Amino acid sequence: METIYYLVLVPMVYGAFVVFGLGSVLRLAALWRRPPQPSTLRIHARRAPGWLGALADSFLLPTVRRHNPLLWVFLMIFHVCLLLLILGHLELFKRFEVLQVIEHQVFLGRGLVGLALTLALLFFLFRRFVSPNRDLSVPEDYYLLILLLLTVLFGSQMDWARSWYGYGELTVEDYRAYLMSLVLLKPQLPSAVTGSGHSFMLVLHVFFANLFLIFFPFSKIMHAFLALPVNKLRRG
Amino acid sequence: MDEKTRQDLLKLFEGKLNQAMRLYLETCSRCGVCTEACHVYASMPQAKYIAAYRAEIVRRIYKKYFKSQGRFWPSLGQSKDLTEMALEELYEAAYSCTGCRRCMVYCPFGIDTQMIMSIAKLLLVGAHAEPEILTMLADTSIAKGESLEIFREGFLAGIKRLEAEVVAKWQSQAGDTVIPVDKQGADLLYVALAGAHSIIPAAAVFNAARENWTLSFFEAVNFGAFVGDPTRTKLILERIVGEAKRLGVKEVCICECGTAFRVMKQLSGPQPFQVSSITQVHARYIREGRIKLDPSKNPEPLTYHDPCQIARNAGVIDEPRYILQHLASDYRELAPEPIYNWCCGGGGGLVALGEETLDFRMKSSRVKAEQVRKTGAKTLCTACENCHTQLSDLNQHYQLGLEVKFLSSMVAEALVP
Ligand code: HEM
Ligand code: SF4
Ligand code: SF4
Repeated sequence: METIYYLVLVPMVYGAFVVFGLGSVLRLAALWRRPPQPSTLRIHARRAPGWLGALADSFLLPTVRRHNPLLWVFLMIFHVCLLLLILGHLELFKRFEVLQVIEHQVFLGRGLVGLALTLALLFFLFRRFVSPNRDLSVPEDYYLLILLLLTVLFGSQMDWARSWYGYGELTVEDYRAYLMSLVLLKPQLPSAVTGSGHSFMLVLHVFFANLFLIFFPFSKIMHAFLALPVNKLRRG
Repeated sequence: MDEKTRQDLLKLFEGKLNQAMRLYLETCSRCGVCTEACHVYASMPQAKYIAAYRAEIVRRIYKKYFKSQGRFWPSLGQSKDLTEMALEELYEAAYSCTGCRRCMVYCPFGIDTQMIMSIAKLLLVGAHAEPEILTMLADTSIAKGESLEIFREGFLAGIKRLEAEVVAKWQSQAGDTVIPVDKQGADLLYVALAGAHSIIPAAAVFNAARENWTLSFFEAVNFGAFVGDPTRTKLILERIVGEAKRLGVKEVCICECGTAFRVMKQLSGPQPFQVSSITQVHARYIREGRIKLDPSKNPEPLTYHDPCQIARNAGVIDEPRYILQHLASDYRELAPEPIYNWCCGGGGGLVALGEETLDFRMKSSRVKAEQVRKTGAKTLCTACENCHTQLSDLNQHYQLGLEVKFLSSMVAEALVP
């Protein structure tokens, strides 16, 4: 068991980040090595200027708001919560004073972010079971959502345990010790991280997150990087 | 399909993969927002008519041969081998899509399904599985460019006959030469379609506006673009570019043909002349006071169909409305916003395929017919030959009781001497 914990929490994390980083960079480079389209691909009567319009299209998803408002609500919740989660994870490395302008315990949103994400993911998943979305979906779509759901569930469990039930064995200090040691390339596993009752959740959370990161560059989630340039084409 | 053919086809595929195409192929999240965008799906709700579903047919082959997942985990994205059967699917996807790009307005990423379908069309050309008639028509156009001398006499004789008609109807506006051809030093080269309706009214308006114009030897329509063959598209285009340069014109004016206009405007590259649609030119004449129109000629409720390739895809949106302000007293918009106008259902070569596609065209454009009916208009005008044919067919099929007209003809009819 110790060995498995170690493998997931140390080498696999490194591996996942390398695959994620290198994979994304190489995939993007391969894309940009191709010649550009010689002619315009613009849709007309959209008067906002190119980049500004594309930014608005990418971050506010106005077309989804107009044509599928329910999906839009969940998409906004999902993507905003994702951003909050990324910030939350940064705080697991060290304390960032800027983030403490609104004073809070680690993980912004007191566990509600994870809950919202879970609901959004369930919505994304179940809407795929209904035609015609079902006919459009391929296995990748389900795998990704299930993978994220598992990651979010196990992550949230730990957060909920700490912030809702006062679980005190795995503390933010323990996480910081573990994660900073990874950053400094001197990996250490404090005994609380591997030896407490909730350690299995941490290991599963990190395991699924690793899988997600490895999957990322090869999946449709590359839209995170591609949304802006592809929207720019439509804006001319 | 033998291995050699497959490799040749994959080379064609590869040639299509520029930055934009890759972005379109990589980004789709299969969210389904484009579902309601396509008039074909809206009229016949079957999954295969969803924009993303069509695109996925091409994307599956892309995943198989151009992404590592096709090698290591083919079932992940349901990658697909390029086989005879795949070609049949590509045919159905590409030739049930009119390339209107309405779906692009819905998509959160702005994915261009028409462009993805251009891969399907090119593969079909490569496999000699495209609608032959389109290639034949394209080749005829190209042949005409190569041996103009053979066509010249017949063409000029035809024009003489048309001149008589112009003079008969628009006596006062006829200048010295009613339909100038091959005129060195003209300001404007007008590229028409084969057919009097595309030449006679246009000539009347040019002459009324005292334009220094000349008529092109070539017809504007680009069958190469319909069949999705970039080489033929370019050859057909270059005949006109060559003629424009030879005559030294400042402006090439494309008749009412959406594809011809978009191809000329967007694919001809930087040239010493500007490219305009005849609608733009007419709007300019009115603005500059070079022609005057009589709005009392059209008292009945009237609506205008924005041809996709001219409006949404090339930006000629305000000009027809400006013209109609001077032309009609009861103008009604078809769609709340012009980019949301339904496609007529005849683009992408479907109208050019004639009877063969008639049944599909009528069924897939039910929503268009309803949209037109809702305006209560008695006259439906448009600025594209394809749209005009398709809308006339719809008018008959759905018994809309309309008069379907060309905008340019209406301008000519309403000229005030
Ligand atoms: C780290 C960045 C991002 C991640 C991890 C991410 C992840 C996801 C996930 C998991 C889904 C649900 C997929 C599904 O329903 O099957 C999704 C959907 C979507 N995302 Fe993102 N996303 C990111 C950034 C962005 C950005 C920058 C945009 C800007 C346009 C965007 C636009 C969308 C859209 C339009 C959907 C739609 C539809 C859907 O599949 O239900 N995402 N994203
Ligand atoms: S709206 Fe765009 S991203 Fe969504 S399924 Fe359609 S093409 Fe794909
Ligand atoms: S381009 Fe037009 S016809 Fe083709 S899928 Fe999109 S909406 Fe449908």
